[in-house]
Amino acid sequence: MAIETKSRESSEVETEVLATGCEAIAEAIRLADVDVMAAYPIRPYDGVMQAAAKLIANGKMDVEYIVADGEHSQFEIVKHACAVGSRVFVGSSGVGWFYAFEAIAVTAGLRLPVVAICGNRALDDPGAFGTEHNDSLAVRDLGWLLPWAETAQEALDLALMAWRIGEDKRVSLPVAIGLDGAFLTHSQHIVKIPSQAAVNKFLPKFDLGDRLLHPDNPITIAPQVDQDWLMEIRRQNDNAMRQALTVIREAHADYKRIFGRGGDNPFLDEYMTEDAEVVVIGQGTLSLPMKVAIRRLRKEGHKIGLVRLKWFRPFPTEEIVKSLTRFKAVGVIDRDYSFGSPFYGGVLYNEIRSALYSQAKRPVIVGFVAGLGGREIEQNMATEIFEKTEAAAKGGPSAGDVCHWIGVRE
Amino acid sequence: MAVETALPQIKGVKDVPYEELFVSGHRTCQGCESALVMRHMVKASGPRTIVLGSTGCMYVANTTYYTTPWVVPWMHTQLGASGSAALGTAAGLKVLMRKGKLKNEKINVIAFCGDGGGADMGLGAISATLTHKDYNCLVLLYDNESYANTDIQLSSMTPYGAVTTFSPSGEKKRLMHTRWKKNVPGMLAAGHPESRYIAAGCAAYAVDLMNKIRKALELGGPTFVHTLDPCPKGWDYHPQYSQELGHLAVECGIWPLYEVIDGMCNLTGPTRQIAEGRKKRKPVIEYLRRQGRFAHFADEDIEHFQAEVDKMWTDWLIPGVIPFTIPAKDQNILKIDKKPLHESKPA
Amino acid sequence: MAKTMEPSTRERPAVERSISIEVVYRGIFQKTLAQRITRSVVLAARKDGHTGTAFARYGDSPERNGVPAKQFAVVAADEIELEASMAKYEPSVVDVTIAVDDTLVKGVESWAWYGRQPIWKPIRKDGWLLVTSDKSAQEVLAQTDKTERPFTLGIVPGGASFAGLWVFKDDHTDYRVLGALAKILPEWISLENAKAASQELAKGDEGAIASVQLGYDSTTMRPVKVGEGTSGHEVLQFTKPGWTTMRPGIVVDARKPGERNPYYKKYGARTMRPVVNFDTCIKCTMCWLDCPDECFEVTPEGHYEVVYSACIGCGICAQVCPVKDCIVMVDELKFTDNKDKWQEWKKDRPAYNNWFEKMSGVSADPKGSAAQAAGSTGATAGGDD
Repeated sequence: MAIETKSRESSEVETEVLATGCEAIAEAIRLADVDVMAAYPIRPYDGVMQAAAKLIANGKMDVEYIVADGEHSQFEIVKHACAVGSRVFVGSSGVGWFYAFEAIAVTAGLRLPVVAICGNRALDDPGAFGTEHNDSLAVRDLGWLLPWAETAQEALDLALMAWRIGEDKRVSLPVAIGLDGAFLTHSQHIVKIPSQAAVNKFLPKFDLGDRLLHPDNPITIAPQVDQDWLMEIRRQNDNAMRQALTVIREAHADYKRIFGRGGDNPFLDEYMTEDAEVVVIGQGTLSLPMKVAIRRLRKEGHKIGLVRLKWFRPFPTEEIVKSLTRFKAVGVIDRDYSFGSPFYGGVLYNEIRSALYSQAKRPVIVGFVAGLGGREIEQNMATEIFEKTEAAAKGGPSAGDVCHWIGVRE
Repeated sequence: MAVETALPQIKGVKDVPYEELFVSGHRTCQGCESALVMRHMVKASGPRTIVLGSTGCMYVANTTYYTTPWVVPWMHTQLGASGSAALGTAAGLKVLMRKGKLKNEKINVIAFCGDGGGADMGLGAISATLTHKDYNCLVLLYDNESYANTDIQLSSMTPYGAVTTFSPSGEKKRLMHTRWKKNVPGMLAAGHPESRYIAAGCAAYAVDLMNKIRKALELGGPTFVHTLDPCPKGWDYHPQYSQELGHLAVECGIWPLYEVIDGMCNLTGPTRQIAEGRKKRKPVIEYLRRQGRFAHFADEDIEHFQAEVDKMWTDWLIPGVIPFTIPAKDQNILKIDKKPLHESKPA
Repeated sequence: MAKTMEPSTRERPAVERSISIEVVYRGIFQKTLAQRITRSVVLAARKDGHTGTAFARYGDSPERNGVPAKQFAVVAADEIELEASMAKYEPSVVDVTIAVDDTLVKGVESWAWYGRQPIWKPIRKDGWLLVTSDKSAQEVLAQTDKTERPFTLGIVPGGASFAGLWVFKDDHTDYRVLGALAKILPEWISLENAKAASQELAKGDEGAIASVQLGYDSTTMRPVKVGEGTSGHEVLQFTKPGWTTMRPGIVVDARKPGERNPYYKKYGARTMRPVVNFDTCIKCTMCWLDCPDECFEVTPEGHYEVVYSACIGCGICAQVCPVKDCIVMVDELKFTDNKDKWQEWKKDRPAYNNWFEKMSGVSADPKGSAAQAAGSTGATAGGDD
């Protein structure tokens, strides 16, 4: 049931609703005046497509809604709609995301600002609907911007930011918002839906400029190349990703100014870190049980905190270094796996260690794999994570050269 | 209301437009009929056209390296994505015009694919697109009967027995490829009654082909044209004979020319003449012996080839188009009373 | 490890540790031939105790009919010496270039932005250019770019050997070439081992050995001094842009209406060019209509003029033309420029027709040839009635 909440200006009314992360994003699609979206069923992301279909059928938004014959087609459809100037939306989960992989790779290569959600889901085999981050993470090298949401509200906020940031000419890269399956895709939270007037202040029209594919702008996009050309093209994408840090900061500041949300730092969300000796870091909804544990363990005198990473790509190296060097130890919680990696750690573990490698004063960084396949992170697991991280703090520099699997039956 | 740009039917070779929208300077083989199809395709469509080109010879050869022969806007798409590229482009243009974000006008959308990308990998996406009657686009499948760009591997469009790098002729196996060519245009016509136009053409009959493309673009909705392109590299013949081999393919009855337009099937060119008895089908050996890819054929291979082509003409419901037929005892099915069950409402 | 050196400065060392050979050929038509040559080089040299590698240039692949391509053979004294030639697309310097079609001496343009490169470009100082030809060294040299460094031109007797992907024309060109190599590189390929290798490769064809000997004996050598050759060929070179100036989004400008691709002219792909008899032309449109490479311009009078800077010599126009000897394909080596011809015909018909007859070897007289439909191969005059 919608409850209206007036903000300062009476013309800019935010509406409060009870909605899943998927439904919240459907509202963002409406507010952003998306032109084309392509749907294909797979759980748990496709709630957004179902919610969007209802909005369209009821006349709440005007979007070309195409049900594709598979994820590869789905992502190709929106990529091409984007090339002719449409603002687009698409999404998938797990192996469906992988079925679209070719399209995903080339979309980034083409610098097309497609906005997607990845309803993070464990990869087959075996089939499982619960959340893992490997689907999103598999594309981490290709040029997609990868943020993760903690709440349905943040999902909506990130979606609006995604079009703004992705479409910025300095970036022009696709964005995939990570949404934990079940906890975010399917659970309903109180979400404030901004007004159209406010969104119009934040989100400019999509303008491809002289890259628009149209008879009035004769161009050829993506001719075949060889070794004499490809490195320059890749360097351009590298440059765009570097620019993304600046563009994210600007968007975050604007969002905060207009909507009053986004936290202090565009890239990190810190919880009780001011006097912490030891922190954990992770992305997505795993922050929620960890925060519960922090409050509980602090009562027992533990000086602990949480850093939640909001943007995985571009990786905010500067912010991470600035934040984490304050602590004695950092427990990295990966809701993903990277079999055979250094110290058998997850993806986040090895990236954070790499970011901190050259610092004279570094925390001990210890790895945890938890919550795979959607396994809940229960309080005893959270306690174990903090205990092991505190132990690592006392253990010397190599105490972190290990990855603990938490909550798995032997 | 959109202003329609008329693409009238071309009366004859002297009526072919001069404008060149696919120009010299593409790295195709001498005698490449697929390149000629590209040239005719955009000649027929005119400059208010967007072309999406999937991976294959007409991508790689044309743009090797970092260059283009296209005057019209052109974008690369993936091997199996022509259907999706057509659909996404058409949908994008439609909604942007409806919302006033783009000037309202007729823009032709053509996505092309080779036989590898279209008849194999991307067949599903093309099928999906042909059901979307709200979007105007043409999928053009240029068929040189192999994955030509990767140096000639067999596809489901490669003719029976032909040599490719995946089907060499050796001491143990004279023929490694014994699958018969899929009937793609007939299949798509039969399976997608909402598509207003599906046709089979050949650049050896240039005016016929250009008119088919124009009809497809003028009728609107999702449409499909399939061209047979003799390929001197893959078929192994001197490039100067590309036109001649196109004629032979049609005159031997191997590649029927036709269109299915709003539910009606018309045979065109020599195919029509053969069906009407005004022209005799040439024996397939005249076609096969001109090409090195059949040089290893034994008599029994030629006979089998001839027998299969004969079947297309003697056994099929519509020669060269629809392969299944009705048992003799059930022939009265064709004479069913065609009155609909419900009367359509008056206008 | 061998340093990368400019061909102009690389001298022939007293004791060579490796030797590089390239075969420049007509794509697809001579692909198998080039492969057989490069492989036979390595296999023959192996019999003399050397090691080696043979490889095709990756950028040429997939090859296109007629478009110049390259394959290489590198022979070395040992594996360490060979390493300098590994994990490379092509040697920067070669000792021998073998052009298996003499029209290639007019220049090599293999893909867009490649430019038109002189056939001798990678040959080291005092290296060799072997050309298979039935013409004299002088005729071949007259079409070769003016050279910047001395080399020896060897003419291996025989016309260009063309085949297809599936059916190989075994006319022993490869064995003759191997014989010629044995003559110029005896310390790497002895004549005896050239024959032995050929015998194995020929699988019982005894004529192979004779062909090796023929190549050895009959290849005529002609030293070429700096400054010899022609400056009549077009200079076609490009500077590639960098990432800061390349358009973002992998975008290149489309061709303008009426333009032809300036980055890839492609006329270097032809071995023959069409000459047109404008007097017998019946303006049927078929040549213009059926040209895959859009090489015809329509003249104000309705004739169709070949744009020689675009034509790749496929011969379709000659085949579809319904008038006998109206379009005739002629050896490319006879022509020294790409000038368009219709204006010349307009200005001075008799002079043009003389030129037509001289080049094509057929009469330009309409009464002589008669405007009759071509009948020899059963070619029909286009498919549009």
